Amino acid sequence: MLYRASIGMIVFAAAALSMPSATRAFDDAIYPALTGQWTRAIVPGAVGQPPFDPAKPPGRGQEAPLTPEYQAKFERILADRAASGLGDVVSTTCLPPGMPMMMQAYEPMQITVLPDVTYILIDHIHESHRRIFTDGRAWPKTFQPSFTGYSIGKWIDEDGDGRFDVLEAETRYFKGPRFFDSSGIPLHEDGESVIGERIYLDKADRNLLHDEITVTDHALTRPWTVVKSYRRTLDPLADWPEFICNEQIPFVHIGNETYKLSPDGYLMPTRSQQPPPDLRYFSQPKK
Amino acid sequence: MLYRGLIGAAALAASLGVAPGGALAFDESKYPDWKGAWRRVAVPGVVGQPSYDPTKRGGQFQEAPLTPEYQAIFEANLKDQAAGGQGTDPTYTCLSPGMPRVMTTFAPFEIVVTPQMTNFLIQHIHDSRRIFTDGRDWPKKIVPTFVGYSIGRWIDTDGDGRYDALEIETRGLKGPRSYDPAGLPFHSDNQSIFKERVYSDKNDPNVLYDEITTFDHALTRPWTVTKKYARVQTKPPEWVEEVCAEGNGDVEIGKEGYFLSGDGHLMPTKKDQAPPDLRYFKPSQD
Repeated sequence: MLYRASIGMIVFAAAALSMPSATRAFDDAIYPALTGQWTRAIVPGAVGQPPFDPAKPPGRGQEAPLTPEYQAKFERILADRAASGLGDVVSTTCLPPGMPMMMQAYEPMQITVLPDVTYILIDHIHESHRRIFTDGRAWPKTFQPSFTGYSIGKWIDEDGDGRFDVLEAETRYFKGPRFFDSSGIPLHEDGESVIGERIYLDKADRNLLHDEITVTDHALTRPWTVVKSYRRTLDPLADWPEFICNEQIPFVHIGNETYKLSPDGYLMPTRSQQPPPDLRYFSQPKK
Repeated sequence: MLYRGLIGAAALAASLGVAPGGALAFDESKYPDWKGAWRRVAVPGVVGQPSYDPTKRGGQFQEAPLTPEYQAIFEANLKDQAAGGQGTDPTYTCLSPGMPRVMTTFAPFEIVVTPQMTNFLIQHIHDSRRIFTDGRDWPKKIVPTFVGYSIGRWIDTDGDGRYDALEIETRGLKGPRSYDPAGLPFHSDNQSIFKERVYSDKNDPNVLYDEITTFDHALTRPWTVTKKYARVQTKPPEWVEEVCAEGNGDVEIGKEGYFLSGDGHLMPTKKDQAPPDLRYFKPSQD
């Protein structure tokens, strides 16, 4: 487990420093200026929904190193979509995209750096609060799995100038279902992904941020690394949109079926020959 | 408009201070220590769902100063809820509770203070807030949201050189919203204004108050309540991810709410409720 030894060495001192009611000086000059609003950097020529690896085309074009079992699962999802189904599209359920898909940053991303925690807030489908703990803690013995996972990070001064340049994070303890991107590339159902990240500002452009993400997952034949980039919003008064999934996603899930709501408020099928919901619990004739 | 003059004067300096690429000096010792997890303090003797005014039971016991029109809407809502409906409580489909109901804090919350902004991170349905303290003026146009647009300023009430209260004004709301699960309604014009004063207890730094005054056209006068929170002593706090859509047994089709049964079928919520209209489905060939 990454960092466990070194983090364990300093955990007591860090815990003492972070006691409530004892504020400590925060020299924010030693941290990179990540504060503000960031949006996903658009890759020239890219079309459609943003893929996990922004450098490659979506879907099969991602060349995800899936195991045969999960490649077959992915193919079933693609086939279902080709047949006008929804193929486990995460956004029809309003479940959180979770890690690593949330780092697509479909909506603006706020990063706030404090000594003990770096917060990454993204309001898309779910109001996701990523906390990357940098207080020197060890991994908890138990933790309730979540879509976002549990993240521990450490700041690195790579060039020895006395300022941190890179936030290295590792994230574990997941639940699902989770996908790499909206094309439906699946992560393993066991929730045992380990996601490593290196988050750093571009050396030549301080308004460009990079997140190098390496996913280790039992659905993959090898770790999969991609680099995502984000642009800082230069308007300090920029809007922070509120994304209320149920207002924007006109789907209803009844049993194992997904239906659509028509603009006039009626239930509609999402695929050809889809049966209507079973109304066995109603004693009244339908409206 | 509150603060406009003061905030306007400071806006340029603040915007320079947060210029991209340059860190803003952050003297943490000037701000109150509100780190950690905070939890709503229940008032002894007040039973039932958490109410808006925590000193009174919810619903009609709140004695909200509603106009006659909105008192009638509220009473019709109570009848609908008694019959199994949702009345004017809109959150059952995972809509944000919005302001000021988010401050009832149905889950532990965190306050993240930086000079430019204070975040209230409340993991419940969709409850988190940004309070801008960078000296900005009200924007000419606000895209309405359930939690509204909040501008705050830090106050040093006792002149000791440290801030001890955060004053906030919130505008730019949208609806539907209700004060509490009993469906106490807001005016449908969504022109509510909230003024808050958030401060620590002078004798106990692990107790926090939020004095909230609501101005709304459904009220006959401004309505002020004080919420109380206690710092969770577990260290480090465990932050639980709440996902409203996960396991939510309520669905809305058209304007009707239905339940989902344990075996995945649609169920009525009210006696003699009609099932949904299935006009877009082809008749069965059976």
